[in-house]
Amino acid sequence: MARRALMTSRHPVRWFGVAFILLWSLIPLYWVVNVSFQTDAEVGSKPAHYLPPHPTLANYKALLSGAGDIPDQVRQGTFNIVVECTVSTVITVVVATLAAYAFARMTFRGRDLLFYGVLATMALPAYATLIPLYRLMSTAGLVNTYTGIILVYVSGFLPLATWIMHNYMVSLPVALEEAASVDGASRMQVLTRIVLPLAMPGVVSTAIITFLFAWGQFLFPLVLSSDISTQPLTVVITALQGRHEVPYALLSAAGVLAITVPAAIAVALNRYVVNGLLAGSVK
Amino acid sequence: MTAGAVAARRRRPDLLPYLLVAPLALVIVGLAVVPAVYSLVQAFFRVQPLDPPTRFNGFDNFRSLAHNSAVLGSLGNTIAYTVIGMALTTVLGIGMALALQQRFRGRSIVIAVLILPWALPGVVEGIVWSGIWDANVGLFNSALTSFHLVDQYQVFLGSNRWLTILLIEIVQVWQITPLSALLVLAALQNIPDELYEASALDGCSAWSRFVRITLPLARPGIAVAMVQALILTLNVFDQPYVLNGAAETGASLTMQTYFISFQNLDFGAGYALSLLITLATLLLSWVVVRLVYRKVEF
Repeated sequence: MARRALMTSRHPVRWFGVAFILLWSLIPLYWVVNVSFQTDAEVGSKPAHYLPPHPTLANYKALLSGAGDIPDQVRQGTFNIVVECTVSTVITVVVATLAAYAFARMTFRGRDLLFYGVLATMALPAYATLIPLYRLMSTAGLVNTYTGIILVYVSGFLPLATWIMHNYMVSLPVALEEAASVDGASRMQVLTRIVLPLAMPGVVSTAIITFLFAWGQFLFPLVLSSDISTQPLTVVITALQGRHEVPYALLSAAGVLAITVPAAIAVALNRYVVNGLLAGSVK
Repeated sequence: MTAGAVAARRRRPDLLPYLLVAPLALVIVGLAVVPAVYSLVQAFFRVQPLDPPTRFNGFDNFRSLAHNSAVLGSLGNTIAYTVIGMALTTVLGIGMALALQQRFRGRSIVIAVLILPWALPGVVEGIVWSGIWDANVGLFNSALTSFHLVDQYQVFLGSNRWLTILLIEIVQVWQITPLSALLVLAALQNIPDELYEASALDGCSAWSRFVRITLPLARPGIAVAMVQALILTLNVFDQPYVLNGAAETGASLTMQTYFISFQNLDFGAGYALSLLITLATLLLSWVVVRLVYRKVEF
């Protein structure tokens, strides 16, 4: 009785909380989309138009197919961010999965030292190594290259990815793997045929979280990319925002382009995002 | 396995685990451990690429920071960002988690919407929110005017230091609260229903249930949430950089590290400041864990 009453209570405070979550998350996003569908003259109106009076795709057309300096940079920045995020995600997930398998299922000398050493680097703030990494990349001639940015991303995201994959693999039952190895499967076969298929949800979570982190980067690529050939969209848009002649409606459309991919991933695959975040944080 | 095979195994060390962890070890040692140690050492050196030579200079870098008024101003700003950010993130995170504690139809959709701001790039969120705080085209000004709360549009960012910091930090709170809410929610879901049932039978009010059961038992989740909020707010960069530029009304310590290193090209002082921020982050994280974390077993 008490349980039913408790679990189905339609507490007005609770619904106020749910309404707050929805409004808090969505109003700013609604606003940038709203502005991106207006002309620059409409954006200047006081008070503002809460709906686009004459919805237009002109800003998006200008960015995606228009000619000129700004659209070129936005398109190049979009290409760069996709390349940098995709490649660093693939490398991070592969390296983390191999290492996590060894940490979770094998005993070897130095295992704990290495495992906890890798995890300990997560306690350092991300920017602690900004200057030395810049100077290292500069010495190695990797400033303003995809390789430099991708290496830095991989080194930054590997500890968390290894931790999530390790926690996932430890939670899998060992019995199947033992049965396979009794049947004569090698350890790499056990990994590829048994462990990986079972660990697939963990792999997906790790990949999504790594990709989202990479997509959000700003200061590292700001320092490591000196020009548009490797600057990701985040750096390009921020530079546009600093140039005051760029119209706000156009800037908003560029902002919407930059959030479309991560927003779609977060909404469509939210279960994996939530599981990955919790696997990576709690323990 | 025969005795001979076992003996053969003993003689030949098992290389496979080392091969599997080698790429990870290489990347972490080369691109995290070595740079961190290098940075620690260089903080005590004079490093100015445009004005060599590089030489040991003891605590000179730290002394120059202590006399740098921009750094001192940013120290105050960063303390304000951290205090405001941790307070808002913790309160909002617990509130949002409570709203989601019980299952209801559509809860997974609400959770998907909740994590949306976490998934987006901080600098783009800065641009999104500049559309809200802006002095000429901002939603906030427009709403205040529509409700006749102000006669004309106001300049919010950059005029008053503490207001500027509050408004910028709200943008960061928007980004990092979803993770706090999720962490607290996960802790709430471990609390057995029986405890709530028993308290309902005993006639506890909702408030005393919250204070006596929910809050103490959610402490592990709240502690992790507060540590992540601490690390992110103490190292805030994207939001003040986009919304307020280099202006002293809002520049953070991490921004000063960037300006000192990459605009003044005084790498030594940059290393020193980044070392201090790192030490402060580690020390304060430890304090938060000591104060808030309690092991909870059911």
